[in-house]
Amino acid sequence: MPAIGFGLITASILAIAAVGFTLQFSVTNILNLAYGDIMTACAFAAYIANHAGVNIWICLFIAALFGAVFSMLLNRLVYFQFVRRGTRLFAMIIVTIAVSLIIQNVLLAVFRPTFFSYHASPGPSYHLGSMVFTASQLAIMGIAVVAMLAVHLISTRTRLGRAMRATATNPGLARSCGVATDRVIDVAWLISGALCGIAGVVLVLNTATFSEVTGSNFLVPIIAAAVLGGIGQPYGAMLGALTIGLAGEVAASVISPAYKDVVAFAILIVVLLLRPQGILSEVATAKEVAA
Amino acid sequence: MGERLAHRSAGVSMAVLAALLVAACGSTTQSATPKTYTGTLTFASFNPFTGPDASFGPEMDAGCITAVHLINKAGGVLGHQAQCITVDTRGDPADAVPAAQKMLATTTNLVGMNGPSSDEALATVPIINRAHIPMFGDTGQAAFNKSTYDYFWRLTPPDDAAGVAMAVYAYKKGYRRGAAIFGNDISSQGNVPSLLSAFKKLGGQIVINQTLALDQSSYRSEVTAAIATNPDVIFTEADPQTDAAYLSQLQQLHGLIPVIGTEPTAQPPWAQAVGGAIGKDNLAKIYAGAQPYAPSQGPAWDVFNTELLASASEIPQPDQWSQDPYTETDYDAIIIMALAMLVAKTPDPAFFNPLIAQVVADTAGATEVHSFKEGMDAIAAGKKIHYVGAGGPIVLDKYHNSSGAFELIGYATDGSNPQLDVVSAADIAKYH
Repeated sequence: MPAIGFGLITASILAIAAVGFTLQFSVTNILNLAYGDIMTACAFAAYIANHAGVNIWICLFIAALFGAVFSMLLNRLVYFQFVRRGTRLFAMIIVTIAVSLIIQNVLLAVFRPTFFSYHASPGPSYHLGSMVFTASQLAIMGIAVVAMLAVHLISTRTRLGRAMRATATNPGLARSCGVATDRVIDVAWLISGALCGIAGVVLVLNTATFSEVTGSNFLVPIIAAAVLGGIGQPYGAMLGALTIGLAGEVAASVISPAYKDVVAFAILIVVLLLRPQGILSEVATAKEVAA
Repeated sequence: MGERLAHRSAGVSMAVLAALLVAACGSTTQSATPKTYTGTLTFASFNPFTGPDASFGPEMDAGCITAVHLINKAGGVLGHQAQCITVDTRGDPADAVPAAQKMLATTTNLVGMNGPSSDEALATVPIINRAHIPMFGDTGQAAFNKSTYDYFWRLTPPDDAAGVAMAVYAYKKGYRRGAAIFGNDISSQGNVPSLLSAFKKLGGQIVINQTLALDQSSYRSEVTAAIATNPDVIFTEADPQTDAAYLSQLQQLHGLIPVIGTEPTAQPPWAQAVGGAIGKDNLAKIYAGAQPYAPSQGPAWDVFNTELLASASEIPQPDQWSQDPYTETDYDAIIIMALAMLVAKTPDPAFFNPLIAQVVADTAGATEVHSFKEGMDAIAAGKKIHYVGAGGPIVLDKYHNSSGAFELIGYATDGSNPQLDVVSAADIAKYH
């Protein structure tokens, strides 16, 4: 039972990150492998503010803002230049890898090869049955719930959400119908970047320390959660995050910590063998058609 | 120590095969009478001087040059002057095997050598052993812990000796229930078998042995499982981020308990990460780390260091090697071989190699000597000698290994590492 509680914390961090990752992919069709490094850059932005005396929870908003602006500019200044030239998906992946390495090395050059921590207390511990959570972990789970709810409401209750779904489904048709797809893409990068920034800070709050590679180390579980749920499906990413997060903690508790990743990714492989499109892909497509 | 592990397993395997074939073809037979030597005796520094581990070679050579200076100043060995040559293995078995063959075939009066390192040891030790050349390896590979090569010697600790030092220190501190928390990388796992074995021999109990997947965002399930076993000390080696996350989550869920780490945990990045995660004050209270110990003091070290610093014309920036345990033991290796030649009354390796252990043994009635000159005078006076080296006392086991001493260091909030204790070479050998 405690492992399920711990899994919920991991799943919360993973959900924030994976939803941002998959939301941006669904709208832009760019598999942004620099996502983990943007998380790290956001964590550093929060670190600078935090060590200047700013409360860590305000730093969370600073990181979200930084991530939003950084991601949008990254798209405008780099990725979009390639998209405009008709660069294909695989070549774009290489571009994002290059961006990942550049960000990582710039961070290394600026901050030097060492480890950093926030001035932040985890707060008191609370027992919920056999599960134990600190105040900051409860806050992380709360942030995840609010973020998921916000993504849900934006997607389903706003014109922007409909425009994003239209752009994701068929950008050419959406443009013909009067959707300002360029602006929608900008907004998708902003939202994705904001979630990326939040994920970067809550990840570091959880690990207690970070370096220039912390975000990129977390990229594989993020992609796994996104793929498991059905790439491009925000609800699928939430479900995928929950599955990967819980599977890892339960495996560490029941089998062996050494097989934590193995079990989580074995589940991923089994699911993809049975449903190559991911858990929610067809459900979402069916709803799109019905709508 | 871990960086001295070889990583090119495929290349190593091929080179080992080649080495075994060469060794099988090149049989030699020991003569009943020593060979006659004329001219200068040669010691080789057989190590990488180029490639990724190019720093190893100069480290070895500094010890050799210093020793040879002192031997020659004392009049040489049995009337022979001595010299050092360098043989570049490039840190690659594919280059090291032909380099060894060329060295053995073309070097005049080759009587001993420093090296090989972990990069090329598996491939070249069989060749050199077959040629009856004594070698003092700086390899840390556990494969040589029970070496059966007559001509292979090692004065530096194997990579897994740290586990023994950790166990001995923990037991001395009164800890009886240990949790082994190590990363799932090869270097970290290399410490675990010796730790488990030594702690058990001492009377302690490893209550949990966890292998951690590295750089996870959460180790709470692992921490919960460890807490349930009620350990009173944690033994660890993992990368800084992993240990920082683990220990901070231990702090949240239970509170901290004493931690004993290996040499990588004594490095600044580990302290930076873990200190940042749990607080520097807390780290200072709970931490001890085991690392190889060379006293860098005493009469033997004084002789070594004085000559080293006077050798700037041949050794660039000699002071960089003053407290280097590898340079110190490489120096000792040459002195030991020279003293063994005096005892054997010949520079013929086949005759002096069996006397190497005798030169350093602390036997009853033996005169303790700290330099080649002191040893030479004592031998000339008909005394048995016990050489104590620049790297400290040498305790050779039956496998020709002297594991050396370890020191336990703490952590101070100013970033320094005060010495907490020393685990002697004898204790390492006893529980290894």
